Amino acid sequence: MSGPLKPSDIIGDRYEILRYVGEGGMQFVYQAKDILTDRHVALKTPKNKSATKRFRRSAVVAAKVNHPNVAKTLDYLKVGTQRYLIEEYIEGSDLKAALLQETAYLDPYLAAKVLHHLAKGVAAAHHAGVVHRDLKPTNIMVIGGYSLHELKVTDFGIARMADEELREAVEGGDASMSASQTAVGALPYMAPEAIDEPSTVGPPADIWSVGAMMYHLLCGQYPFGQGLRAVPKIMTAKLPDPPEFLSANPQFAPLAKEILEIAFSCLKKDPMERPTADQLVEKCSTLCYTSSPRQQGVVCDFRYGAWGFIRTPEGSVFFHRECVYGPMPVVGDPVLFASYDGGGADRALPVVKLTGATD
Amino acid sequence: MIADRYEVVGASFVGGMAAVWPCNDIVLQRKVAIKVMPGSAEKRRIRDELSALLKMRSNHVVQVYDVLNLNKDLAIVQEFVEGKDLFDEGLAPKNKNEYLKLLWQIASGIANIHDLDVIHRDIKPNNMKVDPEGVVKIFDFGLARDEGPSAATLGFVGTPGFAAPELYRHHVTFTAAVDTYAFGATALFLGLRDLPPELVHRPPVLSGANYFSALPFKLAKDVESILNTCLEESPSIRPAMRDVRDLLAKHLLHNRHRALIVFDGKASYLDATRPSVVLRLASIGEIGIRYDGFDFLVDRVSGEVFINNSPVAVGDHLPGACVVALGAPERKADRKYITFDLSHPEIVL
Repeated sequence: MSGPLKPSDIIGDRYEILRYVGEGGMQFVYQAKDILTDRHVALKTPKNKSATKRFRRSAVVAAKVNHPNVAKTLDYLKVGTQRYLIEEYIEGSDLKAALLQETAYLDPYLAAKVLHHLAKGVAAAHHAGVVHRDLKPTNIMVIGGYSLHELKVTDFGIARMADEELREAVEGGDASMSASQTAVGALPYMAPEAIDEPSTVGPPADIWSVGAMMYHLLCGQYPFGQGLRAVPKIMTAKLPDPPEFLSANPQFAPLAKEILEIAFSCLKKDPMERPTADQLVEKCSTLCYTSSPRQQGVVCDFRYGAWGFIRTPEGSVFFHRECVYGPMPVVGDPVLFASYDGGGADRALPVVKLTGATD
Repeated sequence: MIADRYEVVGASFVGGMAAVWPCNDIVLQRKVAIKVMPGSAEKRRIRDELSALLKMRSNHVVQVYDVLNLNKDLAIVQEFVEGKDLFDEGLAPKNKNEYLKLLWQIASGIANIHDLDVIHRDIKPNNMKVDPEGVVKIFDFGLARDEGPSAATLGFVGTPGFAAPELYRHHVTFTAAVDTYAFGATALFLGLRDLPPELVHRPPVLSGANYFSALPFKLAKDVESILNTCLEESPSIRPAMRDVRDLLAKHLLHNRHRALIVFDGKASYLDATRPSVVLRLASIGEIGIRYDGFDFLVDRVSGEVFINNSPVAVGDHLPGACVVALGAPERKADRKYITFDLSHPEIVL
């Protein structure tokens, strides 16, 4: 499927479609060229009538926010009955595609970096009086994949539409639930008040979503599960038991624990008890993490269950079991790692076994 | 109404060499400032600079939203910032910390502009506003104003007091160092609320004096020195704005760093309240690390110690991402490693 437009279509005498990028729950996304300023832009157009209703609202809301961690809104056009939103083009992919396909979870360093950037983007939105209402991995763009050069929040304010669709899905039961992309994608990160009384939702609902996402990124599982069965668990906000690997390795346990505590502070049932976005940024300021670029390789040697080597096109990298986060790889396993100049061979830290997505 | 979507909501004012109209964008429902540059639609350089500015996202520079072609004129659609400009007495910094925060924001904005290979060309307190949230925004670019016959023949384009000495020469070529000089003069003005006569002179008569020692608050030596260097006669001696920004940030983040050190399965945190630690591997080597409020330094070392595979000396800084090895490479798997990770504190405005 490639939506209603095709390459070389020109929209509003100004935007030339270059290629189809993909679709979200509500919209088709294209890469286009702005003929007037000679820059590449993202062009989004709503998929259906109910999306069209909210589309301009989403553009107006996002246009109020100016921050490097928020995608820049450039223009909004109405041509005949069609609507188009023009946004900064981001050379990357969404967080789910970028960070949750090859691994089910992130090592704590990478998780801390995601959290820090995410908190800054959300804080900028809240300062501008804007509530995102629909924060989830597919609404966050990542540049640089696991090396995470940049992170930008996008798709503001579409959430009103999400509410309506979700209500229909809930009324229709599990069958219509699975048919609703929005319900499936957004529900695991939705605050209790967003399910209960969507019209009252304020900034703390975004904070909840940040907490739920961070739990997912750190632990490789949804904090309250997925689908309709998640609803009662979200409503009681009973905190989940984190998986054992978080605290199993003393190299990673201290940072993992700090991030987990921050995530849990966001997952309070009472919206007033959650930190503000500014407090979240302040908290992130104290996290000790390294943002070294990541590479992939294959374990080619592992001796005495203690140390071994990872083969990459550039040469072999030494690793020790103490530097592995999560399950121990065996010879032949693909891994993700950062490397340091270690004498003899470079030294890898952290090393994470590639497991593929969990769902 | 401009271009069927921008409703003029106030009287125009003159910004640089062009008229600026406050408008409401009725499509995206935001207030914008539209700057009309007469007869500039064909100028290649202006268009190139605007393309660069359109890509920028800086917290401290007014956003350029769009470019319009109005007959033969080029119009720039920019973010409208409410609030007063920095010339206003009410915005004078009350203490050293406020002063450093102000300068850091300005330096960050200029550094962001320079990173795109654009020169602002008209840095001065009147071209910066403090928005309702207290954030400094630089505006009013003197886009490509050294182009065309006027700059070459008149030999001077700028604001006396803030214009660098080289701008008074006959054939003017702007470099980023012009902004650095103007930043230095702006910094001096914001602290003194005036400029010394030798800087107001046309061209300025620069003696290499310690201008910043006259401020009402005492600056750290390195800050004082870099600010004075911004006011050097020779453009090539003036510092890069990113270095000015980073030094100001270093002082604003004094005592706010934290480091996590993991050695032999044990984690320790270093910060201003617990500034030092000694890590030892019996009969092989030991290293002491201390936080001095700015950096994490090696304060003792003996035996076989390596940071990222290089030998270590007392006084060395520990870089943000490093592995410290105890034991020479020949010891192979018997070496012990210390991981050292730094926090990334934010400047809170």
